[in-house]
Amino acid sequence: METIIEVDGIRKGYKKRKSKEEFIAVDGISFSVRKGEIVGLLGPNGAGKTTTIKSICGLLVPDQGSIKINGYDSVKERNKALRHISAVLEGNRNVYWRLSVEENLEYFSGNRGMRKKESKERIDQLLELFRLEDKRKEIVNNLSRGMQQKLAIAVALMANTDVILLDEPTLGLDVETSYEVRSLLKHIAEREGKTIIISTHDMAVVQDLCKRTVIINSGKVIADENVQHLLKLFETSAYEIQLKETLTEEQLTKLQHQFPIYNLHDLTLEVSLEHEEAIYQIMNILSLNQTGIETINRTQVNFEQVFRRLVKEEAVS
Amino acid sequence: MSAFLQVLRVNTKKEFIEMKRYLPNTLSLLATFYIIFLALFFGIQVVGDPAEASSNTQYIIVNYVFWYFAMMTLQSTGGAITMEAMRGTLEQLYMSPVSAWRILLARVFGMVAIHLSIMVVLIFASMVTTGEWLHLNIGAIIPILLLTIISMIGVSFIIAGISVIFKQVDAFLQILQFILMAFAFVPLSVAPYLVFAPFVKGVDMMRHVMIHGYTLGDFTWVDYSWLVGNGIFYAIIGVIVYRSCERLAMNKGLLGHY
Repeated sequence: METIIEVDGIRKGYKKRKSKEEFIAVDGISFSVRKGEIVGLLGPNGAGKTTTIKSICGLLVPDQGSIKINGYDSVKERNKALRHISAVLEGNRNVYWRLSVEENLEYFSGNRGMRKKESKERIDQLLELFRLEDKRKEIVNNLSRGMQQKLAIAVALMANTDVILLDEPTLGLDVETSYEVRSLLKHIAEREGKTIIISTHDMAVVQDLCKRTVIINSGKVIADENVQHLLKLFETSAYEIQLKETLTEEQLTKLQHQFPIYNLHDLTLEVSLEHEEAIYQIMNILSLNQTGIETINRTQVNFEQVFRRLVKEEAVS
Repeated sequence: MSAFLQVLRVNTKKEFIEMKRYLPNTLSLLATFYIIFLALFFGIQVVGDPAEASSNTQYIIVNYVFWYFAMMTLQSTGGAITMEAMRGTLEQLYMSPVSAWRILLARVFGMVAIHLSIMVVLIFASMVTTGEWLHLNIGAIIPILLLTIISMIGVSFIIAGISVIFKQVDAFLQILQFILMAFAFVPLSVAPYLVFAPFVKGVDMMRHVMIHGYTLGDFTWVDYSWLVGNGIFYAIIGVIVYRSCERLAMNKGLLGHY
């Protein structure tokens, strides 16, 4: 598949106001996205996701490195690059609350130079797709948050660009609406062949929608992998050990030393092992104080666990 | 060009729709200006020289209406940037392949059209109230007014540029009101150096047309040179300042900040 977005070694620093010290938000990030891919951009707060997204959108100029959208440089050929990309950056705040649904769609398409007739056809299509036909004349202020969010996504789709960037598309939505938005995005990617980049904290979105994920931490890419591959990788090494007694300080120290990535809540110990033989090392630690074992199970990991472990591993290393 | 026409269409439409949706706000603005005008008018009647009351009233009408118009045009772009940043829609405007300054220009055209209509209402309301009728020579007024508006738009772009970086420019806009008052009220015969200031030459020529009944033929080529030169100068400076501020905001990551 053809590459549509190429992020090459971007770096962005901000000067702190008082100390004048430089804070590096993004430090040499590189990745590429192929046409038709749905990629999840993940990372804890302050990892550099927003800086990366805004740089891709041409709203921020990186200090170093370059970004190409369909071959156009996002800084030097900004207007050409923007013909291929649209975004929802602030969710439902991306639309005008005093205008109606239809007026918003017409306004943003006109602002991209779209003719009235052309935009009218697209508005009809999108209102049908997003099930907003009966809200066509409704003032946005009167809509529910879910509908406002759907409208914001529809506005991004109005331009019919190849790439759509979505920053937290399900933030603040109830389970039902979040599911609806996810289904819509899946539909758009499959039917319209759009390339979608989603920046989110909602791991269900990643697991459900994204084929690939780029995980950023402290301004660097720590993983760029196929989502299913990551899940499989962690699934084979993830164990859940049900203990009979609580662990002593000495056991905890040894555990921390030998298995930096572990989770202990109540009497459940979750641990990720590099090789299966490592289970005997855990037994040794538990036998120190004759801690009894109720059960040992290989666990089904979800993407949230994978993400947390990757970020933790990065922090430890 | 075709893309800009679409941008112009939707932005003008948006301005009119929002004016309608915020109608009480628009009406109260109009009422406030009219009440201040009445205060000025009756003030002149009470404290002014009765022999010059008629000419003073005419001066007040023209100066006051142009002060209103300049203030609205200049503040509207800065205000629009601040409002868009606050609402969260500013970055969406910058995501358009049509440059943001062109979108802003289209927005200014829409706002100017609205404020021109309000200005006409204010002029007629003032004339009816005072019984003083100005020379409304449309053939002379329109070309001079259009050239005057160019320099106003130029300055409005400078303010828009400052707003892109600082966002909260309310205090600055309040001070600006008084500077604009000086530009609109002080005639060039009293302060000739103000010819360098934006739109002062235009307002001065408008006074000659509306109060003294001048026609286009009564002005010299020097007058027109100043008028055109002033407009072009401030329009170019405005766009240059705005684009520099925009670049700075993109480099420093200030675009979406409020």
